[in-house]
Amino acid sequence: MSANVLTIRDLRVSFPGIAAVAGVDLAVRRGEVVALVGESGSGKTMIARSVLGLLPESATATGSVELAGTEVVGAGEAELDALRGTRAAMVFQEPQTALNPVRTVGWQLAEALRAHGVRSRRAARERAAELLELVGIPEPRRRLRYYPHQLSGGQKQRVVIALALSGEPDLLLADEPTTALDVTVQAQILALLADLRDRLGVAVLLVTHNMGVVAELADRVVVLHHGRIVERRAVSELFARPATDYTRDLLASVPRLAEGGVPAPRREDTGEAVLELAEVSVVYPGKRGRPALRAVHGVSLAVRPGEVVGLVGESGSGKTTVGRAAVGLVPVSAGRVRLGGRDLAALSRAELRAARRGLAMVHQDPAAALDPRFTVGESIAEPLLIHGAAVGTRVADLLTAVRLPEAYADRRPGELSGGQRQRVALARALALAPRLVIADEPTSALDVSVQADVLDLFDELRRELGFGCLFISHDLGVVDRVADRVAVLRDGELLELGSPGEVFTAPRHDYTRALLEAVPRVPVRA
Amino acid sequence: MTAVQDPPVAVPVAAPDVRDDVGVGVPRGRWFAALLRGRGLVGTVFVGVVVLAGLLAPVLAPYSPLQQIPGANLLPPDAAHWLGTDEVNRDVLSRVLYGTRVDLLVLVTAVPLGAVTGSLVGLLSSLSTASDVVAQRVFDILLAFPVLILGIALAAVAGPGLTTVILVIALAEIPIYGRLLRGAALRVREMPYVEAATVVGAGRWWVLRRHVLPNAIEPVGVQVTVSLAVAVFVEGAMSFIGIGIRPPDPSLGSIIADSVTALDANPGLALGPLAVVTALVLGFLLMAQALAAGRRT
Amino acid sequence: MLRYVASRLPSALVVLVVASILIFGLLRLVPGDPATTLAGPDASPEALGAIRSALGLDRPVWEQYLHWLGSLFTGDLGRSYLIGGSIADLVLGGLLNTVVLATAAVLLAVVIALVVGVGAVLTRSRWVDALVTGANTVALALPTFVSGVLLVLVFAVALPILPSGGVPPLGFAARPDITAQYLVLPAICLGLPVAGSITRFLVESLRTELAQPYVLTARALGVPRRRIVLFQALPAALPSMLTALGIQVGSVLGGAVLVEAIFTWPGLGSLVEQGISRRDYPVVQVLLLLSVAVFVLVQLLTDVAHAALDPRIRIGGSV
Repeated sequence: MSANVLTIRDLRVSFPGIAAVAGVDLAVRRGEVVALVGESGSGKTMIARSVLGLLPESATATGSVELAGTEVVGAGEAELDALRGTRAAMVFQEPQTALNPVRTVGWQLAEALRAHGVRSRRAARERAAELLELVGIPEPRRRLRYYPHQLSGGQKQRVVIALALSGEPDLLLADEPTTALDVTVQAQILALLADLRDRLGVAVLLVTHNMGVVAELADRVVVLHHGRIVERRAVSELFARPATDYTRDLLASVPRLAEGGVPAPRREDTGEAVLELAEVSVVYPGKRGRPALRAVHGVSLAVRPGEVVGLVGESGSGKTTVGRAAVGLVPVSAGRVRLGGRDLAALSRAELRAARRGLAMVHQDPAAALDPRFTVGESIAEPLLIHGAAVGTRVADLLTAVRLPEAYADRRPGELSGGQRQRVALARALALAPRLVIADEPTSALDVSVQADVLDLFDELRRELGFGCLFISHDLGVVDRVADRVAVLRDGELLELGSPGEVFTAPRHDYTRALLEAVPRVPVRA
Repeated sequence: MTAVQDPPVAVPVAAPDVRDDVGVGVPRGRWFAALLRGRGLVGTVFVGVVVLAGLLAPVLAPYSPLQQIPGANLLPPDAAHWLGTDEVNRDVLSRVLYGTRVDLLVLVTAVPLGAVTGSLVGLLSSLSTASDVVAQRVFDILLAFPVLILGIALAAVAGPGLTTVILVIALAEIPIYGRLLRGAALRVREMPYVEAATVVGAGRWWVLRRHVLPNAIEPVGVQVTVSLAVAVFVEGAMSFIGIGIRPPDPSLGSIIADSVTALDANPGLALGPLAVVTALVLGFLLMAQALAAGRRT
Repeated sequence: MLRYVASRLPSALVVLVVASILIFGLLRLVPGDPATTLAGPDASPEALGAIRSALGLDRPVWEQYLHWLGSLFTGDLGRSYLIGGSIADLVLGGLLNTVVLATAAVLLAVVIALVVGVGAVLTRSRWVDALVTGANTVALALPTFVSGVLLVLVFAVALPILPSGGVPPLGFAARPDITAQYLVLPAICLGLPVAGSITRFLVESLRTELAQPYVLTARALGVPRRRIVLFQALPAALPSMLTALGIQVGSVLGGAVLVEAIFTWPGLGSLVEQGISRRDYPVVQVLLLLSVAVFVLVQLLTDVAHAALDPRIRIGGSV
């Protein structure tokens, strides 16, 4: 037993009507990093949760989960509380919400320490400061008095890790620990986890859908599909010689940066720019005494007909604001926005409305991209109805174009999956044959395998219909795949503009270099 | 914070608590089914029985509500007078039945008046910042008067009576619906599907009509049942302190007021109207709870 | 934080000013001659004349308003012509009684809410939960005049263990046990709907907080559930409860009129009732203004308290 920190035998977790985990065997040895990989719905989060008895009320679990010699399945709360945090601890995905917003960092650490037996205030404070230092937070003593909202996303995640380490667990259950973070911060957190493994000998059960993270951190990989284990191997073997088709698909779907060489430009320059931004600045006025926020500063770029311009940057870089300013959703404080040569600010309301016939927008969040009260057909037909155009067979045609069955026209968004909803959003965007589409992180909320399909579709449609696109994303790999030209934004300023080959292989700014470094690299198959 | 349960008194909570699932809705059919199960059914039954009694008052009442029966002063309940008689020799049961009828009249006029006016103001004011600010201030002022205080103020000007009661209820409801609809409008306007429509050229009216209104109707439904409970309370309270329905016309509140000094002589004088008021208010609140819970599944 | 408070003041002031104008205008809106309205139909012509000059009814309306407002600020609340006496005296006479009653009711409501609310959340038993929800709904639903009459029926008429009305004869401080006997029924009557409402808010807020991810973090660290509820969920849920309480003060203000009538409690509520039945407008106006002012002030205070309790507003400065 002793070499295993965690032993799972024939674990089954089910909800009324759904079997989330259907018979899983798994073991984690001391000091090793096991990656639990799968798409959403594969059951990986439930496995992690069941280790500490944290399943939702409606779930039932059978089988055996042995943690440090104690059986978890069926154990009472008191027993479980003794295990939680001391034998195994969880690191959650969303640092923004994992911390109590009205309590200081120090207080939350002290509560955790108290649960692990450290009662004295002074001892707790000392240990808390040590923990913060361990996870790389500068000025730890000062930060004890901070509230979560005063820390950055990366720092919050470090605090979450510190909380997890407070009980000196043998096993860390990391549930998508870097997914919600910016690329540069991701790299730092991964480095921290690797460091902790090396220094403290902590084992890690890493739950993720991101193969790049797996490549960097894991020793062994377990692939899950619909609640069952499909493959388990050492990491290098898995990447070199995947045994199942499913694993092969997963690996193939990771958007990768083209390595080496400057690929040929994909489009020729034809005609006047569809969109032109000239020295555009957007300033959000301050409210209630807060200072004004300068979201975009002096950005100039153009989108030519049929061209895809990728707009890359981390959160807060202003890329979304640029997209919204381009279609007049947000007023510009300086500079000009020209659509098809005409200055947006100079248009009357009626002219603007007419000009908007040639525009469309696709959003990130498929959950809210479609009005839940509309059927799919109604959503797609909406642009046509707004401009009084005949609907006829357009809806059916568009559904076919996005490779969805025509019968879907009568369904409601709630009945579709995320990927399907995004296709519908795409169909709606193309209803009036626009000349410019603003795509704001259109695939970021989708699973990796679904992403690939949607991007393929997008590419195809673009070739057929020839619309220009401002493609906003934080994912360099995705942008590399679809864009003809790339613009890099930081803090509202445009740093680079060029073809993907130019920008990604020979960047001009250090910042771009740092961004590139931070993309987890998946070893290319031998 | 989710469900806002409005107490049958004074001011329910203002807009920030507009349900955060507005615009991410629920199929309509299931909504009404909540009224036919569990709490909802109990509430519906309570309300249904009272409404029937009120509507059929002319048929059910053994005497006229104004008729004074010689020698029948403050009699406890017996075979001839199921709820006894009051201090001026009138049959309590008949007065309660007719009082219920008047209550129903108030409900049916005041609540829709306030709801529709408030909703329209709320929706239309959301279209421009200027009108929005003005509307919000007006709502603030209306909301600064607790309902009963508002009743007192209006009764001081317009005198007591049925129309005053209706006016008070309507005025008290306007800011509630205004805030509710305005909140819903603002939420829905933030939604990506509305942005997508705007980018393609939809104007404010289009958005209001096709997206805001359908999505905002549901919270209004729940609020209406709560408003009905509040309306019963307000009419009762105003009549109780003498600024509501004018005597000798029967009203539940005034009967209760009269009963306070005669509790030992004829408890039926109190229990009759108390039962009706309680059944109505409780019934409406149960319906509201059931509807609100039904939205969440 | 100070900025937040300052941003709240202007709208509160605007509301107060407009309300005062409306209240002042009440007298002028009544059909007929204001002086007759004030003095009653039997007043002598000399009395009417005295009133006219005292109120300056021949001067422009806005001047009258300012004059009225000004005298309010200096403490001269005017004269009551139909009840008799200076209004200031009348108000002071009833103020203590109403304040004692209202405070007792609110305290009772808060205690009930905290005990029942936290208890309902901590309990694992289904039927305790159902019981609490049921009792809560009934408390919310019973209008004050219904519960008041019922309470008197049960505890003063059927089982005569408590007085059916009136204030403690020796004052509030002299014999606390007697005071309690007189205070119990009216306080319950006034406080019950408040208790029902804020208990519901508290339970909802607690449940919402317990569904938050940070609670899962705490559970994953082995922090016992009781500690999580008392030290994390409860402090997070208190601000909303506070705001709800502020709004419920409106119910207390209106309810006091009803409760004081049922229990013959000589406070400001019964003064208002007298004022209404005798059509004594100056009294009614002063009391209306007082209640609106109290309500607005309480809302402002709960708003500020809410902000003070939320470090995101208090400290600000997110990265």
